[in-house]
Amino acid sequence: MVARVAGVFDEKLTEAIANSKILVVGAGGIGCEILKNLVLTGFPYIEIIDLDTIDVSNLNRQFLFHKEHVGKSKAQVAKDSALSFNPSVNIIAHHDSVISNDYGVNYFKQFNMVMNALDNRVARNHVNRMCLAANIPLIETGTAGYAGQVELIQKGQTQCYECQPKAPQKSFPGCTIRNTPSEPIHCIVWAKHLFNQLFGEEDPDQDVSPDTADPEAAGDAGASALRTEGTEAGNVERKSTRAWASETNYDPEKLFSKLFGDDIRYLLSMENLWKKRRPPTPLTWNNLPGKGNPTAQHSGLPDQRVWSMHECAQVFGDSCKALQADLKNRPEGDHLVWDKDEKSAMDFVTACANIRAHIFNIPLKSRFEIKSMAGNIIPAIATANAIVAGLAVLRAQNLLKGETRACTSVYLRPKVNHRGQLFVPEKTLTAPNPKCYVCASKPEVALACNLKQLTLKDLNAAFKDGLNMQAPDAVVEGKGLVVLSSEPGETDHNNEKTLEEIGLNDGSALVVDDFLQNYEVRVILQQKDEEKSWRLVTDPDIPMPGPKEEKPANGSNGADEPKPGPSCSKEDSDSDMEIIEEDDTGEPAPKPPKRRKVGMNNEIVDLC
Amino acid sequence: MASPSPKSPEQSEKNKQYDRQLRLWGDHGQAALENGHICLINATALGTEILKSIVLPGVGAITIVDHNIVAEEDIGSNFFLDCSSKGLNRGTETLRLLLELNPAVQGHAVQEPTEQILQENPDFFKSFSIVVATSLGEKIIQDLAQHLWDINVPFILCRSVGFLGSFRIQIKEHAIIETHPENEQIGLRLDVPFPALAQYLDTFDIDTLDLKDHGQIPWIVILYKAVQKWQLSNQNRWPMSRKEKNEIKEIIQEFIRKDENGIPIEEENFEEALRAVNTALVPTFLPVKIQELLYCSSATNLTKDSLPFWIMCSALRNFIEAEGKSKLPLRGVLPDMTSSTEHYVKLQSMYRTQAVMEAEIVYRKVQEIVAQLHCESISETEVKLFCRHSHDLHLIKGSNIAMEYQLGSNSVASYIARYLEEPDVMMVHYILLRAAEIFRSEHCRAPGEWEPEADIAKLKTCVSRLLTDISCSPFPKDDHIHEMCRYGGAEIHSVSAFLGGCIAQEAIKIVTKQYNPVNNTFIYDGASTNTATFTF
Ligand SMILES: [Zn+2]
Repeated sequence: MVARVAGVFDEKLTEAIANSKILVVGAGGIGCEILKNLVLTGFPYIEIIDLDTIDVSNLNRQFLFHKEHVGKSKAQVAKDSALSFNPSVNIIAHHDSVISNDYGVNYFKQFNMVMNALDNRVARNHVNRMCLAANIPLIETGTAGYAGQVELIQKGQTQCYECQPKAPQKSFPGCTIRNTPSEPIHCIVWAKHLFNQLFGEEDPDQDVSPDTADPEAAGDAGASALRTEGTEAGNVERKSTRAWASETNYDPEKLFSKLFGDDIRYLLSMENLWKKRRPPTPLTWNNLPGKGNPTAQHSGLPDQRVWSMHECAQVFGDSCKALQADLKNRPEGDHLVWDKDEKSAMDFVTACANIRAHIFNIPLKSRFEIKSMAGNIIPAIATANAIVAGLAVLRAQNLLKGETRACTSVYLRPKVNHRGQLFVPEKTLTAPNPKCYVCASKPEVALACNLKQLTLKDLNAAFKDGLNMQAPDAVVEGKGLVVLSSEPGETDHNNEKTLEEIGLNDGSALVVDDFLQNYEVRVILQQKDEEKSWRLVTDPDIPMPGPKEEKPANGSNGADEPKPGPSCSKEDSDSDMEIIEEDDTGEPAPKPPKRRKVGMNNEIVDLC
Repeated sequence: MASPSPKSPEQSEKNKQYDRQLRLWGDHGQAALENGHICLINATALGTEILKSIVLPGVGAITIVDHNIVAEEDIGSNFFLDCSSKGLNRGTETLRLLLELNPAVQGHAVQEPTEQILQENPDFFKSFSIVVATSLGEKIIQDLAQHLWDINVPFILCRSVGFLGSFRIQIKEHAIIETHPENEQIGLRLDVPFPALAQYLDTFDIDTLDLKDHGQIPWIVILYKAVQKWQLSNQNRWPMSRKEKNEIKEIIQEFIRKDENGIPIEEENFEEALRAVNTALVPTFLPVKIQELLYCSSATNLTKDSLPFWIMCSALRNFIEAEGKSKLPLRGVLPDMTSSTEHYVKLQSMYRTQAVMEAEIVYRKVQEIVAQLHCESISETEVKLFCRHSHDLHLIKGSNIAMEYQLGSNSVASYIARYLEEPDVMMVHYILLRAAEIFRSEHCRAPGEWEPEADIAKLKTCVSRLLTDISCSPFPKDDHIHEMCRYGGAEIHSVSAFLGGCIAQEAIKIVTKQYNPVNNTFIYDGASTNTATFTF
């Protein structure tokens, strides 16, 4: 066959393929297809990285995996499957996160090109920067249902992944989540936070108790009165939710009474909140609506039916017990990771979200709907993955032949458009944005904030969430003063100081760099009195991302959620068509880079 | 008795496996797919890639018709075959390996040549949802296409040669109920409210409600009240123009409460009402496209063999002429809105009840027709789905490939000629792919498969014959012909993988009867990375 293809391909291409080294990032739906296409086209050397393990819900499209592979490393199984068909190819599999010191610029430089088959922005941003730094072409792919896209990213010739700021995402202030939810999604976000508080990685920014600092509740005498009484609920404020739950042995009734009774009564005491709103109604475990009612008739699947409060409470109790047992079976200090495909985790979030929705008079949702919203599930099918992966490898051939100009972005449409196109191509390569804060020759960006309030800790979060850095170091330009260091502990003592306190003012410039990404950007501070948190400004006309808080959206293991930022923040929906996320292939959980020192905590949550 | 706790509401293993696609085409789409039976003729790399993407999502059954023996080149281009398959029947081997992907799929292999089946057992093809064929010669294509046209089985003719590829869908008539339009009309009937809705809307008095309740009024009510107020000074007309809609917006602004300093209080529901003015005030109407569909002869001249779609169209027409008063049935879907659960649930149940009522009327009419014609019954679920999507029904009337292949006698020739004059290089590829089929029919092999140089002249003769048939002058250059001979009929895996995905995707659209499939030809050129669609 290779002989036959040699006739079809011209000599130049045949030779280029024979001498190529390709890196595939992601061994999900698209990654499997890409790997197969590369192997059958005669590519001799392929490395593939994926942190994920195989889930049942992958099997409808990730054809290199079968039922007996569930739970195993995607990268490894993909390699084994592919090799069984063509043992002469050299495939190296890494069951690992691509965001790691092990895969630095020099690692990337050994490849002719990188092919991305990822499902999340964090990893996409990272690989984008690595390829820019290594100056090697990157073929970026994605699908969503019947739609898909393929684009080339080549330093200096095309847009990079971050040239166009991603549409600012719908944001939910923390106080809405904690105090005044008005939509089902607010309750779902709250329920996911609760999961993390009780069983997952505890994060102080995901507090689920009433937020007494809510500006709307300012001057609420009632609230402060209740607080000084030192009720059980009040005490819990100062103790971690997990510690308290653990003391009660995760007793469902006690948990329920606190979360859906005491906490709600506490919120009611913040009277200012309810002047314009309908106040919530606390619930009592023993007196729930729906008890004794026969299960309502419903024609659809059981998980498409909306449960009664009574049912919700039962599911709440059962899932609490199951999750507690799961947690107990793990080594001390380990925690659960929320996963939409894990039964108890999904049951728990469905029940809690609906109970909270009921309390706040918000329409309830079925488990099926909540799963979509909580897991940000993007439909994924075999056909679109095959199409996109086929195109990607054909693009790779163009690139090897030096036909960079032919590699314009192309979009697969769910159906033929009015111009008769099933595929809509760009006519030319999309030129880089000269103001891009990532790929411009001298990257620069302004950070609007209130220097009197923004702390260094916030600034660190701004660089991580806003500039997608993994481990930022910041130095005051011209002075050499280190304000932030990625070395653990080096600048921690300044964490709570405001920017003003350390001598920064309007117009001060910082040189911020990320060692791992080989990326440096000049950040100019802009004093904005009214700015509650921070905001990036490149072009005054283009909206830029602000801080993130919330992302119900995430991969199958929840680990690609961005770290939460300051209190009032944002929702990452990831459903904008500009970047199509392939659902749960993947690269979640950026691993903390090791950087220069060894011996720092480099533990990674085992996601199996 | 206490209600049982919802037991492990998630689902069978099967639903878990298919979760990501159920969110695209729903349970009924999945059921349709599981009832589907796809026949593949020739398990080439392209054919195998097509089946792979249909087997993974769980089609009911596949049948592979292939009398070929696995050769060296199959092993190289077909991912599923390895050296141990060499010398065995290609269809049987491919089937065995494909079924490993999804044990739920049934599979059959038939080792006879298609020509023989067509002659000896033409009914063989009757049971399939779609027949997909790759790598066939011109003669058998025409015979097969004609037969499948006659027995009304959809046919997809596929080609993958070197950097060129194409597919052609032949389907006599394809009715799509769920087209998944990008902008679905909301259809709230605010201009012609049904009695329960009108009564409910009248219970509101925006000005007298206290602030708490004011912020809970659903935007539908706000919009309705604003229009009512506007109509007082506009002869009860319905606001249509942009200017009139702006006047409605102004009225809504006036509704918004002010605080003690005269500053408007932010109320999300009023913001929503303002945003909805442009979309939700579209008057209720019967789209021309739907009207044409309901009054076409298939819908008006029903027979015992009429498809359920036409029976439902007929019932729908009767509904519109009688109870519906020129309106399509209510969709009954309420968009999300800020409001108290109480209001929302009430509105929702009102819309739902009315929609159910109207769909029931249509269903009764369907039953009457079924009884009259003594034809197979249609389920209430089907009728409900039909009613819910009646605004976006779509019908594709296809054309016969056998007719397309008889150039010179019909409009196809002038259609092709028009594109060749442009000059459209994608149509040039079409001619070459057709010429290669003629070559295959006459020489029983692909051009260039054995003797690339010697075949150039032969292929050129085929091209000339085609061009003469459509009264076009010969191509000025031969480079495309040389290229085709250089390919020697070999498949490039990525081209076949790409096309296979495209064809499987269209096949699934056809089997699930959701989304409009390509009508009817798609051509891909990997060298220039161009694609095009044509309607022959
Ligand atoms: Zn850029």
